[in-house]
Formats: sequence, C-alpha cells, structure tokens
Amino acid sequence: MKKKDMPDTQCSRRSFLKTTSIAAAAGSASLVTGCIPGKNSGSSEEFKLKWEEYFKEHYRLMTQEEKDATISRLVRLAKLQRGLDLQMSSRPAREQVLYGYAFNISRCEGYMDCVKACVKENNLDRKSKTQYIRIFEMEPGQLDPSTGDAKYFHEVPVDNKFYMGVQCFQCENAPCVKACPTKATWREPDGIVVVDYDWCIGCRYCMAACPYWGRRFNWGKPEIPDEEVTTKQHYLGNRIRPMGKVEKCTFCVQRTREGKLPACAEACPTGSRVFGNLLDPDSEIRYVLKHKKVFRMKEELGTDPKFWYFID
Amino acid sequence: MKEIIHGSILRSLVLGAVLLTSHLALASDKSVLDRIKAANEPFDTMKIDSTHPLSMKTVRSNDSYQGGTFKVLTRKDSIERFRCSGCHKDKKVQVRDGVSFTHGDIVINHGSEGTSLSCSDCHNEKERDFLVGKKGQKIDFDHSYQLCGKCHFRQKSDWVGGAHGKRVKYWAGERVVYNCATCHNPHSPRFKKRMPATFSRPLDE
Amino acid sequence: MSTTSQKGFLSFLYDCFRWNMQGSLSFQIFRLLLFAAMAFGIYAYSYQARSGLEVTGMSNIVSWGFYISNFTFLVGVAAAAVMLILPAYMFHDPDFHRVVIIGEGVAVGALVMCLSFITVDLGGPLQAWHLIPGIGQFNFPTSILAWDVLVLNGYLLLNALVPMYILYCHYKGQKADERKYRPFVFLSIFWAFSIHMVTAFLYQGLPARPFWNNPLMGPRFLASAFAAGPSLIILVLAVVHNFTNYKLDKKVFHKLRLIIVISAIINLIMLFSEIFKEFYFPTHHSIAATYLFFGLEGHDALVPWIWTSISGNIIATLILAFNPGDNNPKVLLPACFLLFIAIWMEKGIGLIVPGLIPSPMGEVVDYLPTWVELGVTLGIFALGITVVTWLIHPALILEERYEKMRASKMD
Repeated sequence: MKKKDMPDTQCSRRSFLKTTSIAAAAGSASLVTGCIPGKNSGSSEEFKLKWEEYFKEHYRLMTQEEKDATISRLVRLAKLQRGLDLQMSSRPAREQVLYGYAFNISRCEGYMDCVKACVKENNLDRKSKTQYIRIFEMEPGQLDPSTGDAKYFHEVPVDNKFYMGVQCFQCENAPCVKACPTKATWREPDGIVVVDYDWCIGCRYCMAACPYWGRRFNWGKPEIPDEEVTTKQHYLGNRIRPMGKVEKCTFCVQRTREGKLPACAEACPTGSRVFGNLLDPDSEIRYVLKHKKVFRMKEELGTDPKFWYFID
Repeated sequence: MKEIIHGSILRSLVLGAVLLTSHLALASDKSVLDRIKAANEPFDTMKIDSTHPLSMKTVRSNDSYQGGTFKVLTRKDSIERFRCSGCHKDKKVQVRDGVSFTHGDIVINHGSEGTSLSCSDCHNEKERDFLVGKKGQKIDFDHSYQLCGKCHFRQKSDWVGGAHGKRVKYWAGERVVYNCATCHNPHSPRFKKRMPATFSRPLDE
Repeated sequence: MSTTSQKGFLSFLYDCFRWNMQGSLSFQIFRLLLFAAMAFGIYAYSYQARSGLEVTGMSNIVSWGFYISNFTFLVGVAAAAVMLILPAYMFHDPDFHRVVIIGEGVAVGALVMCLSFITVDLGGPLQAWHLIPGIGQFNFPTSILAWDVLVLNGYLLLNALVPMYILYCHYKGQKADERKYRPFVFLSIFWAFSIHMVTAFLYQGLPARPFWNNPLMGPRFLASAFAAGPSLIILVLAVVHNFTNYKLDKKVFHKLRLIIVISAIINLIMLFSEIFKEFYFPTHHSIAATYLFFGLEGHDALVPWIWTSISGNIIATLILAFNPGDNNPKVLLPACFLLFIAIWMEKGIGLIVPGLIPSPMGEVVDYLPTWVELGVTLGIFALGITVVTWLIHPALILEERYEKMRASKMD
C-alpha cells in the first residue's frame, strides 16, 4: 500500500523514528566501541563519555551548561586516552569585534615560520603534513597564485621573486557556510568561520565550495606527538579533531578571543602579517586598509573575505 | 535518551528555525567594507581583559599613532656592552687595532655600494651612550626609531600606524610594538637568506 | 489467501521472498557471485571505516573521487526510469506498460546504489542522523545537498511504493485502481527530472569550480541520463526476454532506441557547446577543461580516459542512429552497452575529478582510485544488481500470473 495506508498517527511516526534511532545508535555505538580493536574499547568510563558525546546537540544550540559539560567530557577523554592535561575554552565572540587580516607581499620573504607555528598551535596532523597556510613563490608580473610554486624548499628569498601566503580568508559571504547540509560550519559574530567538528558528517561539500582551498579534511586519525600538543584549546579551534571531519584555519580562535595575535602573525619574523579588529578605527588593520593599496583574492566571486593583501 | 530526543525535537525545531532565519538575516548583512565605513566609534581594547602586561621592558614612544600613545620595546637591555661610556670617556681610546679587537664582529652592510654608512653617521661621537640625529642632537638607543626614520621616513610612518613592524604578542590591550632594531640589525639591516622553517608536501603522494 | 489486507500483505512479501529463492542453477550461481562481490565490498568498507578515508585515492585537492562519480552517474540512471513511465502511464503505450515495472525496479536499484555511494563517501557516517530535521539540523533550503537528500529519498519512495501497490493488487488478483496511483505517477515523472537537476545543481551552484559553474550542467545531465539509462534498461530487457519466460515485443526495443538516439544526439551537441566555450578563447576558467582533455604540467592521467569516452559516445550514437542491421540485437545491444560505458566514463570520473583539478589555488595533482574504492564500488554495484534482481524476479512472476489469470477470465 502507499505510505498513507500505514498507521500514521503522530505516536507511531515518532516511535518509528525512536526505534530507528535507537537501533542506529546501538549499531553505531557498537561500531564506535567494538569495530575498532584494541585500545579504543577501553574502560567503561571512556565508553560512557563517548556515548554521551555521540548524542550531544549542535554546539550553537547548546546552553552554557551543556557546553561546559561537553568540554569537560572532551578534557576527561584526552586525559584517559592520552594522559594529556588540556585547558579547553568555549569563550564566545567578543562584542564589537570583527577580525581582519592583512598580508604584506612586499615584506614576506618566504621563511614559512608562520606555517610551522600554525601546525604547532593548531595541533595539525603531522603524518599527512596538513598545513592551513600555503606560501607561494611568485614570479613578478602576475598576482595569480596558480602561477606560483608552493612546493619550494630552498634558500629564501630568491632574488626577483615575491612570496604570497594563502589560508582561509574568513569570508563574510562564505560559500562553505551555504553549502553545508547540517549547518556544521557557520560564521561567528566576530567574523570567524568555524566548524563544529563533532557535528560535521564529513561529506566535504564545503571543500568543493571553497574558492580559496581554505578547508582541510582529516582523512585519517590525526597524529600529534604528546609533547607537541598545544594544550590551551578552544572547542571550535585547535582541539584535536576526530577522523573524518573537516577543519580549517580559525584565525586561532583560542588565541584571538584572548586578545593574542594568531600564531602565524606572532611567528612572522618580517612583520608581514597585520591582524586586528576591523571595527576599531584606531587599529593597525584599519590603518593598512586606509593608507595602503589593498586587494582581496578572487573578489569578483562576491565572497567578501576579511583577508587583504597590500604592497609597501 | 528519550529526554534527549523529545526535548531536542522541540528545541531544535524552535531554535533551529531561529538560527535559520538569523542565518538568512546575517547573509543579507552589509558587506565588510560597509561595516568598516560605519564603524567609527572608538573601541577600547583594554576591554579584552585577558591581555597581560608583558615581561619585557618598554618605553613610551615619543610619537603617537591614530589611537594615541604606544609603547616600544627597549633596546638598551639587549645591547651587551651598553654604557659605551665605560670605555669611551673624554679621551680617544688608544689601542692598536682597537676597532677590530673590540668591534670586529660588526660588519657594516647598510647602504648600497659606494654609499655605505659609516659608524659616525649614526653613533654620537661626543656622547657615546647616544645616537646622533641630523642636527647633531642626542637620540637615546631606546628611541632609535627616530634615527632610522630620518632616512626611512616612509617605513617609520608605517611603523607608527601599524603597517610596518609588529605588535608584541597581543592585538588588544596596551599597544606594544617591536623597535626597529629588534628585527633589523642596524649594521646589516636586510633580512638574510635562509632555508624555510618547513616545507609543503606535494599533495598527490 | 486471506482477506484482511494486513495478512495478505505479509503473505505477498513472503511469496516474493520465496520466488526469489527459486530459479535455475545459473541464476543461483549468478546470485552467489553477487553475494561474494558484496562481501568483498563490505570487507573493503570495513577497512576504510577503521583506517579512515586516507586509504582511498582522495586528497585535500581531489576531495571527491570514485564514489561521488558513480553516485552522480547513477542518479541519472535512476531518473531515466521516467522514460518508461512517461509513455506507459501518460500515453498508455501498451508495450511500455508491460515493461514499466522493470524500469522502476532498475530505478530503485540505482537509487539504492546512489545512497550507498554517498554513505561510504562520508567521513562521519555515524553522524548522518545530524541531517534529520527535528533531531538534527537540516540546512534546507539553503544547501543543495539538503535538497538532494530530500529528492532522492522521495523518488525512492515513489518508485518503490507505487509499483509495490500495483503488484500487491495483481497478487490479490485485482486490477490496481488507477485513480489511487496515477497522481503519484505524475509526481514521479516531474520528480525524475528534478532529482537529476538538483544533483546537477550540486555542482552547478559552486562559483569556486568554473568547470562546473555553467548553466548547461542541468540540461546536460538530463540528456546524458536519458541516453545512458534507457541503454541500461534495454540491456536489462534483453536479459529478461532471453532468460525468463516474460517475453517482450520487439517494438519496445525500437521505441527505446529512438529515445536513446535523440538524447544521445542532444548530449553530443551540448558537449560540443561546452568544448567550444572552453577552448575558443581559453581563460583561466578553462584550466580544468585543459587538464581533462589535454593534460596540464605533465599530469595527463585523464586524457586517454576522456577521449576514449567521447569516441565511444560518438560511435555508439552513430550506430544507434543509423541503425545498420535494422534493429538487429547483435548490433543494438553492444552499441547500447558501449554508450552506457562511455557516458559512465564521461559523467563519472570525467566530470567530478576535473572539477577539482587544479585546486582553486592552481595546484595540479592526479587522482587514481585505490583497491579500497574499487572494492567498495564493486560491492555496491553488486548490491544494486541484487536489489534489481530481487525486485524484478518476483515482479515478473507475479505479472505473468496476473496476465494468465486475466486471459483465462476473459475466455
């Protein structure tokens, strides 16, 4: 019969949903804890924490108590599984703050100190050598990064070449935010486009949608040596991501919401990276936008990014 | 888990709808440049309360930037043999090959071929604990930016505004910037060639 | 047979199951091979689930690969069932009326494969419940992927439930009430077009990917679907005609050939239009097409692939159009098979991978599926064929019984 002929009271549909989800949950729980051999089928406390983590809400819909609860679960899990002592924050966006970034392509010498600092700060997977930042060695005469070479490894700077770094540009009109089917990625009020890693289903539609190659995927389980883990973390930022989830540069949300510069700006030895609050008329970033000739990449796409390039 | 499903269905529907509409509203927000144009109210960066005073020594700059005064990292504490007047008193130092013994590690690579700077272009011959300005005035080492800015005036005005150089550690809180000599060796200011700190993998391995 | 509908329905299901267990030795061996392929697919997938998607050939640049390619192609095959439904129910063509149930079975099988391909491609399949509105967050109508989830599942329901209703009526010896199912049939006709347009819009709506971001994607998808889908259906019908007692009139094949030829010619015209746009005055946006057709910076893995596909497409279209041998199945069936494979090549890997190469920052890599992807794909194709077999086998037995009963009633 057509579906209308099945008993279709509210109760039955809900119980159908409930039964299916219980079945799915039981199945998934067994997959999570059973299918993976060895250490992951560990203690019952670990199982309980993972169980609760599995059923939690979307981060944006959580109350502050729920946010605190999930953070304490994640911190506890890290302690149980790896013996790490983490400090995880859920600090919301600061008021009247909109982060902006400027990159001086006359000053960058291609040292890649920013790339190294970013990998360390954001707990990026060492095995696949994931890097949020990519530095292009460019031939003068063209500003298109596709004409550049990002795979160089020789003494820099090379005469008559200039260097240009790209990373997620935190678009105000982000195509990735539009594309996500579960709303797992969104733009925070302070302008940073973030991902709720536990909510993401790993479909990678956002990666196809990004015009700047700003997003990365955890193809395997991220591997970071214990002694290199940055323990001051933010739920939306540099906490260690699960396998199969999308991640991206977050302008170091764990640092910038505490008033610190992002790791890349901090590490740059030539001062090519300028960061600040676009809504503060006295900030350095506003000075750059006012006094320098700036441009944004692929501006014609209408993504409205908050990352500018300028020349001295 | 019953509570989770029952509660979250209601909550998700309500809050999800709110989120959806607010998402749409945000999407039709003004562009970044419009928001910047409209944002002319001063912003108190001291509101970001998690910035801490730095452990490094600073001095208040003689220049002001668009947001008022700012601080510069001191220089004197990084000069190993400061208090040049320890050796250089009223009389000339008479030691054979004295320059190469004491200051042999200094290689001057400042200026182009043929127009290279000499020691006395920057160092005050009358008062060795100071630098010398254009009109012969004393410039403190901690305020060496005033000297650099005599020739490199464009970089100096950029440095004051924030397009050149760097803030120390924080984007918020009290503004402390690196002084010129922190990044540029005053005797050989250009950045050196070196290997990059890391490399990027080819992506199809 | 009991009279209450609940019990009758259960015995209907049980009888279908029983009929599926019957069959000749070659049929059973065929099903055993399919089962073995599915088992291998499950093994490959479990390896992928444990180690992560890094065991596939995908990377941060080629973030979609063989799975999504097959998904894209199979949505077209599923949509092509409309090419049987339209003549059967709208124009009441009696030849098509007899075979429409087979088309719907193929559509269901293709849709099951589509949903399976998406599931195995997900990095977090256990989080898929996050899509369910009410419990999760469903980004409808903003995200095209959300639209796709809705239309695919809706089409699956339509194509599963309408034939099930009709078959159940025939099982009970009754004529199915047209007034009950006709609106849903009309709905499924429009829905078939929409599933494929929506899938095309997944790619078409991304300004980040100039290879995809053109208005011809949607119509091109429809044209290639209506060429490849009916080709597959012709092959299935040939199998049914030759290996079962359900005999078909040659006219069905001739009419399907006509549908295929028209669609294949439109597809080629659209292909030419795309090639003209890319290569008459190549811009930076043509760089992906350059990679596909001619190679870029020494990376030319897809060049032989696409040229084989286009040659096969043209040869098959010409054969089907000029019809040498005058509808001789020995000519028609290989041509249909060639067309199906050629379009699979062009619309699968030949569409998805060049859209992602070069990266938006201009970096060129190659993509090659690994044994894991091939194994899982094999398993899913076996699953699709199994589903189609399980649906068609009892359906044909039922329909034969029903026809015999109708014929004997009229005597």
